[in-house]
Amino acid sequence: MDSYLVVGIIIFMMIMFLLMGMYIHSVLLASGIIGLILLEGFSILPGLLGNEPFNRVASYTLTTIPLFVLMAQFILHSGLVQDIFYIVHKISRGRRSLLGTLTLIIGGMLGAVSGSGTATAASLGQVAVPELRKHGYSGPLAGAIASAGGSLSGIIPPSIILILYGVATETPVGALFIGAFIPGVLVMVTFIIAMLFYYRRETKRSPAAAEAQAEIAAAAEAEAAEEKVPVTRLAVSVIMGFLIVATIFGGIYSGIFTPTEAGAIGSVVGLLTALLLGKVNLNFFKASLTETIKLTGMVMLIMIGAQIFGRFVSLSLLPRKLISLLEPVMDSPALVLLLISAILFVMFMFIEGAAVILMTIPVFLPIITALQVDVLWFGVFISVICTIGLITPPVGLSVYAVSGVTGISSGSIFKVGMGFAVFSMIVVCGLMIAFPELATWLPSVSGGKG
Amino acid sequence: MNGMTTFYKLYGYFGVLKKIGLVISAVVALIMMFFITYDVVMRNVFSSSIRGGFEIIQNYMMPLVVFPGLAYVYASGVLPKMELLFAKFSPAVKRILILFLIAIEVFILVLVVQFSWTYAMDGMERNTSFPAAGTLYQLWPVFFTIPAAFALIVIENIFLFIKNLIEKDPTFVVEYNPSEEEQIINQAVK
Amino acid sequence: ACGGETSSEDAASADGEKITLRAATGLSPQHAWWEGGMEPWMDRVTELTDGQVEFETFTSGELVAVPDEAEAVENGTVDVALILPIYQPDQFPMAEVTMLPLSHSDTMIASNAWKALLESDVELQDGKTFSELQFDQFKVFPISTTQEYSISTTGKEFASAGDVKGTSLRTPSRIHEMYSKQTGLNSITMPAVEMYDAMSRGAFDGSFYSIADWTGYGFQDLFKYTVTGINFGHFNAFIGMDEAKFDSLPENVQEAMEQATDEYFEDSAQIWMDRSEEVIAMNEEQGGQFVDFATLPQDVQDHFNEGIENTWGDYAKLLEDNGLPGTELVKLWRDLMIEQGGEVPQKVKEM
Ligand code: NA
Ligand code: NA
Repeated sequence: MDSYLVVGIIIFMMIMFLLMGMYIHSVLLASGIIGLILLEGFSILPGLLGNEPFNRVASYTLTTIPLFVLMAQFILHSGLVQDIFYIVHKISRGRRSLLGTLTLIIGGMLGAVSGSGTATAASLGQVAVPELRKHGYSGPLAGAIASAGGSLSGIIPPSIILILYGVATETPVGALFIGAFIPGVLVMVTFIIAMLFYYRRETKRSPAAAEAQAEIAAAAEAEAAEEKVPVTRLAVSVIMGFLIVATIFGGIYSGIFTPTEAGAIGSVVGLLTALLLGKVNLNFFKASLTETIKLTGMVMLIMIGAQIFGRFVSLSLLPRKLISLLEPVMDSPALVLLLISAILFVMFMFIEGAAVILMTIPVFLPIITALQVDVLWFGVFISVICTIGLITPPVGLSVYAVSGVTGISSGSIFKVGMGFAVFSMIVVCGLMIAFPELATWLPSVSGGKG
Repeated sequence: MNGMTTFYKLYGYFGVLKKIGLVISAVVALIMMFFITYDVVMRNVFSSSIRGGFEIIQNYMMPLVVFPGLAYVYASGVLPKMELLFAKFSPAVKRILILFLIAIEVFILVLVVQFSWTYAMDGMERNTSFPAAGTLYQLWPVFFTIPAAFALIVIENIFLFIKNLIEKDPTFVVEYNPSEEEQIINQAVK
Repeated sequence: ACGGETSSEDAASADGEKITLRAATGLSPQHAWWEGGMEPWMDRVTELTDGQVEFETFTSGELVAVPDEAEAVENGTVDVALILPIYQPDQFPMAEVTMLPLSHSDTMIASNAWKALLESDVELQDGKTFSELQFDQFKVFPISTTQEYSISTTGKEFASAGDVKGTSLRTPSRIHEMYSKQTGLNSITMPAVEMYDAMSRGAFDGSFYSIADWTGYGFQDLFKYTVTGINFGHFNAFIGMDEAKFDSLPENVQEAMEQATDEYFEDSAQIWMDRSEEVIAMNEEQGGQFVDFATLPQDVQDHFNEGIENTWGDYAKLLEDNGLPGTELVKLWRDLMIEQGGEVPQKVKEM
């Protein structure tokens, strides 16, 4: 069948399936499989459907997903994060918008020890969302804050996306990591600004609801004030929290272990923390491990679906057909870059980030090289878009992770998340196009080394 | 009512199977954590790493963390979907939609089971192995966890289909009252 | 296969009809094997057939990842692919032979020997040649090997044989594992994408790698000490097509493919030599040091050479233990190498 027609049918089908409420992984699997059948017939299926589930899962780098989630689970069930949020809450007393800001900053710091936005988002969803809600944030906004904070792992190094890009384009991964630092912080700052905007609007738009929420919040604060946490426990929590961050940062940056291995080390340290705080028992393991397997299974099922769907997209040659439309405007690089960002933004909305990177690089890289755009800059640039894509519908793994652990509907989180995404996209990508040095300056002064 | 009791009894047995899968996944996740940590310690203290460690983790442990527990994960209702529009439909529409979605789901899953089974059988025939530290380790047995995992999910969907056919309230999960479950298991044990 | 463009399945029919072949690699499009080998080959085939044959290309694992190319060709997901058999010693146990360490060779020597091995009519076992034993299901179009593998470290130098023992290096194949065992090197296994990070922070000392391939992972900025003039084998590859698929193509197309292989073979080796020079210049600019093996202390040289000799025997034995003609194979490879101008230690000559 004509591939344009197939692509048209499949896009329509995807939208219908999504609206009907089909599981995301099933939407991807069904669209991918039916698309492949329409395009190539059943004969193509054995080669792609048989081995892709195994190939997708059997990856050392992806051990970060279960292990960073496990670390988060151990830390969560140790009560440490609650204690720290208790302190954060004390600090932000009377200024509730500060709690959202601090949550995003904690998301950024977690991003520096995690390569996977989804895992971080899931743990933030578990810890931060209940706190945010207690302090008067609506469910959707709290969910969006956790999703956005978690997605920061995609750009703040170490980042799986940057690693994939480095491998695919033969760009030094260490240089990419350094180059991504400033843009990563910029994304965090734009998220904070967007969060403050939504928070203000939320409290202004429905004063009655806001008042009611404020009352609940005040009650919660009063309650929290009453159930005082012993100072010694807080001290242990703070010391252990500091130790976890120090172990992971110190371990990675001193070469004791790699960013991937940090997941395992972090889990062990998390387990030790829980032991110190006296929380380890059979239930502790049951709860932590069940949640870990649930989230891992969820992410991996979607990744398998995305993989199969990505194979369909590749074979339909859709990306290069889109790109060939760009050819007439090649003399104006800024315009081409804008178009590319728009295309990527749309693709990242629909398709899992790593799949998009692998799919589009063969097509975009020649154009980028022809335009004499810096390959390192471009890598950081598309990682920014990819990070933002983690919180856009219909495929936004961060949001799904948060929705999965909190029970807040993903649709309502997306409504707010989309605002974060568009704002951050315009500001950070605009700045990066206007001032490429934001990505290239740091690697150049550090000699391109990691 | 007797039919439903049998239904839940069977589903109870099936639940045991899923739990076993979950336990396998959970234990392997713990092993993976200690294995990598041990490797890091060995490398830094004795400057020698576990020979073939990364290949073993990648090819054995990761699939065993993901696939055995997958049916449990699927049944737990954690998997995401867009609920925005669905919630607005009437129960009758919901029910038709669910039956339709399950049918598509089963069609897709059966294809995955079929082709991943072929892949596993093919791997057994070729004795597919992976090299690690100069040795070849058999890989094909792991391949069978994939059709097994997806077959369990097909069964889950069949339970779900039947439940939606018989009962009034349309649902995405075969939920049941825990006390009722206990009751059934107790009965089953008798 | 349903109308529209001519797809690959019903393509191979009448003469003159347009044929679109799906071609893939898991490597990046900048990789020397693609950019310098398979791409010019495909262009030349298109040219020789006056545009009758066209290729739809997929790189960087967009469709097929390393090392699944062989499988993808066999099950028809793609028509033609860059196949890296060393990554699958379970399926192609004899392909690793080109990774055997040598006293001297270069990309050109090894490539010619590899081509000769693939085309060799020497019967190794049951009346079958090397290609028949290993790649019977494929139509094989030879392509260059990589440049020779060297040992590079992030700073550790070999002043004595004692320095060699305990040095931790990443090992890319079973043969390097054997060699490490023989010489007391610690072998580290780690995904290639993690190496830069791990080495730059001192997690281990270095790696066996081919200099021309460094840029793929940024190692030109990282390695400080490289021993040249000793050679830890060559990684190999070939352009592979399903045998039946090839037989179904019109004769003029088959001829064009063979002709393109002959014409482009040498250039595909030359690109490695050129790249290597560029990379050495880049590395020296960053303070990298290249040390000739002959200038190392005698005990270090002896230690390495002894390892080379024993590794040949170990590999032959490994194959024999699995019912394969190991001794015949390593002897054939040795002879082909020497014929092309390569050198092996005395003991290997006497095997
Ligand atoms: Na990160
Ligand atoms: Na998205």
